[in-house]
Amino acid sequence: MVFAKGGFDVNQIKLLLLICLGAISSTPALAHRLQVFASADGVEIVGSAYFAGGAKAAGATILIQDAAAQPLATLTTAADGSFRYRAQTASDHLVIADSGDGHQAQWLVTAAELAGLNPQLPNLKSSQPTVSKGLVEPTPLETAQLAAIEQAVARQIRPLREELAAAAARASFRDVLGGIGYIFGFTGILLWWRHRNPPRS
Amino acid sequence: MAHLPDGVLSAPVLIGGGVIAAGVLTIALRQLDDQRLPPAAVFAAAFFVSSLITIPIGPSSAHLLLNGLMGLLLGWTAIPALFVALLLQTAFFGYGGVLALGVNTVNMAVPALLCAGVLTPWLRRVAPHRVFWVGASAGMMGVMLTGGLVALSLILSNAAFRPAAGLVLLSYLPLALVEAVMTGTVLAFLQRVAPELLESSQPPDLKSPQPPFFKGGL
Repeated sequence: MVFAKGGFDVNQIKLLLLICLGAISSTPALAHRLQVFASADGVEIVGSAYFAGGAKAAGATILIQDAAAQPLATLTTAADGSFRYRAQTASDHLVIADSGDGHQAQWLVTAAELAGLNPQLPNLKSSQPTVSKGLVEPTPLETAQLAAIEQAVARQIRPLREELAAAAARASFRDVLGGIGYIFGFTGILLWWRHRNPPRS
Repeated sequence: MAHLPDGVLSAPVLIGGGVIAAGVLTIALRQLDDQRLPPAAVFAAAFFVSSLITIPIGPSSAHLLLNGLMGLLLGWTAIPALFVALLLQTAFFGYGGVLALGVNTVNMAVPALLCAGVLTPWLRRVAPHRVFWVGASAGMMGVMLTGGLVALSLILSNAAFRPAAGLVLLSYLPLALVEAVMTGTVLAFLQRVAPELLESSQPPDLKSPQPPFFKGGL
């Protein structure tokens, strides 16, 4: 180490290199932060629970809450971490995953997402008119077509949204290097502060 | 699973953990030993990265903690090292909640201090070829004490966590064995290549100043 008088000890350098190599060569394979993803598929809310980095959370408890934090259903994830819930109203649904040992994650399926796919579902916020009087009201056929299109698009982009959510949670190599940099930076600043020259009096 | 997220623990546990963490950190910073800062940074970096290599156990997953080894080699300096690494894990990886940082620090740091206090005297008088067992005990103690503290934080927050807490402790057992072998091997390796690192480790002592970490001094 740099503080040893009379240069570096070979063994100390070996040890330091070993630890640094071990730290850098370890690829972030799995991580243990619970994540949950859910989206509307028709009238169903379909989702999966997983650990950031990849592994599926099998047997985790899924609690579905409405906008007023009232529990609607309690589910258990399958072996691949997936779960399904049939929505009764087109309102906000909060999906809370819990692996039972203190890990917890949540995901919000918005009322807009559900309502766009399911015009037939009762909408809790339908009291305010969404179409101004000047416009032509869509016919039932158009409504059905629009819902079908929305559903098709939602199904197409679902893997993308899932991928995006997983990528945001995954720790990247840059995060690892950045964190290590911060640690040594902090140490350097601390040592400099404690060894700075006293001001001349 | 040593990183408790936000939204799981109750307010009294969060506040209590924060207060204890602040107290322990203050004591540790008061007697900061400059000679131990570079190795502390190395161990903090190793701890920071080790959380990414996980072993799935049941519905959860676990990873090496290294807190027993850090306590044994760094003494009080292990506390700021663990705190900084946990802070950065929260910021970069999202492991552990921001509000739960105090509790998470206590859960990791107190076992490190206990390892230092209990095992350092043994390490000083043990025969060189048995150093492995001191390391193995440190690894075992660090993991199981952390497991116990995590379980305790869960039970104190919500009585409904009682069965889950038992599960947490059980899931820590295989990890404790892996950690024991790893810590023992590292310590035996250090004994062979850099025995001065072990000789200078001191039990946590509030009064006496610590000797230089390296033989040469400044």
